[in-house]
Amino acid sequence: MTTQDFNILFVIWRECIEALLVIGILNAWLAHRPPAERRVGRMWLWSGVGVGIIGAVALATLLLTIGDALSDEAQEYFQTAIVLIAAGLIVQMVFWMRRHGRTLKSELQASLDQVADRSNWFGVFVLAAIAVLREGSEAAVFLYGTMASAAGSNLAAAIAAGLGLVAAFATYWLLQVGSRVLSWRTFFRVTEVMLLFLAASLLMSGVGHLISLDVLPTLSPRLWDTSWLLPDSGMLGGLVSGLTGYRAQPVLMELLVYAAYWTFVLWILYRPRALRPA
Amino acid sequence: MALRGQLTAVLAGFLLSSVSSSVALADDPTFRIEFKDGTINPQRLEVPAKTRFRLELVNLGDTPAEFESLELRKEKVLAPQSDSVMVIRTLDPGEYAFFDDFHPGAAPAVLVAR
Repeated sequence: MTTQDFNILFVIWRECIEALLVIGILNAWLAHRPPAERRVGRMWLWSGVGVGIIGAVALATLLLTIGDALSDEAQEYFQTAIVLIAAGLIVQMVFWMRRHGRTLKSELQASLDQVADRSNWFGVFVLAAIAVLREGSEAAVFLYGTMASAAGSNLAAAIAAGLGLVAAFATYWLLQVGSRVLSWRTFFRVTEVMLLFLAASLLMSGVGHLISLDVLPTLSPRLWDTSWLLPDSGMLGGLVSGLTGYRAQPVLMELLVYAAYWTFVLWILYRPRALRPA
Repeated sequence: MALRGQLTAVLAGFLLSSVSSSVALADDPTFRIEFKDGTINPQRLEVPAKTRFRLELVNLGDTPAEFESLELRKEKVLAPQSDSVMVIRTLDPGEYAFFDDFHPGAAPAVLVAR
């Protein structure tokens, strides 16, 4: 396999990983709920995925046909809204899973909770749709472009793209297996941390957009540069920054938002039990 | 990334059309960056610091490209044989690496703001 073929495999996997994390964890979580709740939850989850896929293909088609005729600025406002909504929904979902997962309820109780849970199910739906839409449209353009250029001349590229998809679904499968092999407590702990880091990364991406749109000030020049240690771009660095919000050269605004986010999250997680909502 | 933004026209376009049309100034200095199947040209581009300017991104290759730079806080997907414009509002003097995220093994290029 040449470097270029490996690149193709890697990009496809990376473009899918964020959505697969969100969907895989929600799905594994639902597997541990009582049957009635599982049915409802999965219906919302997978309808969200379906809507996301349709949206991603529609966006990709739009880009490939009419190209970039739309205002750069309007696009960036839209991206900002999408990432901030996704970040908020992920955090809300983690807290909801915690509260909800503390006790295993009987089916009767679960059904009584259904009304209260309806707004949360809608959150699951929106989150799944956004997660797929966000990177899915890019994956679609990438896949289409690669396949088009590979047609006839380069079979290896097409195979590499296929392997990238296989790797992505293997990751999803690993999550499902993990939820069965590991103790539920361990699985939940680990995936909870992954989701909170992913939300942090989306938040940082939103803040970046807002700075670039001049809505937020940077508050300082770049504070330091740790790119010698770990860059925030390239293969490994890009993955790390995409899954954690890591920045090699942060400005004060980014630092403050990142710190505020984790302070808020840790406070909610570790505040005295008496203060927690029932 | 650019694709996500495409929906803007449909969803947020109505709200934002007044804003976006008022800022779409053609007299901003414009710099051209070409992508071609993993190569970026030029590898080093000088731009004015503390000034608004536009980047004209052109993908001459047969494979899709993605302009990406966390340092510039910008990302944009380019279909094969397509072009796009990106507005940079202001940059502190310094170097800003950018690269083709759809060819992650390739060498990054750098924007130098003076």
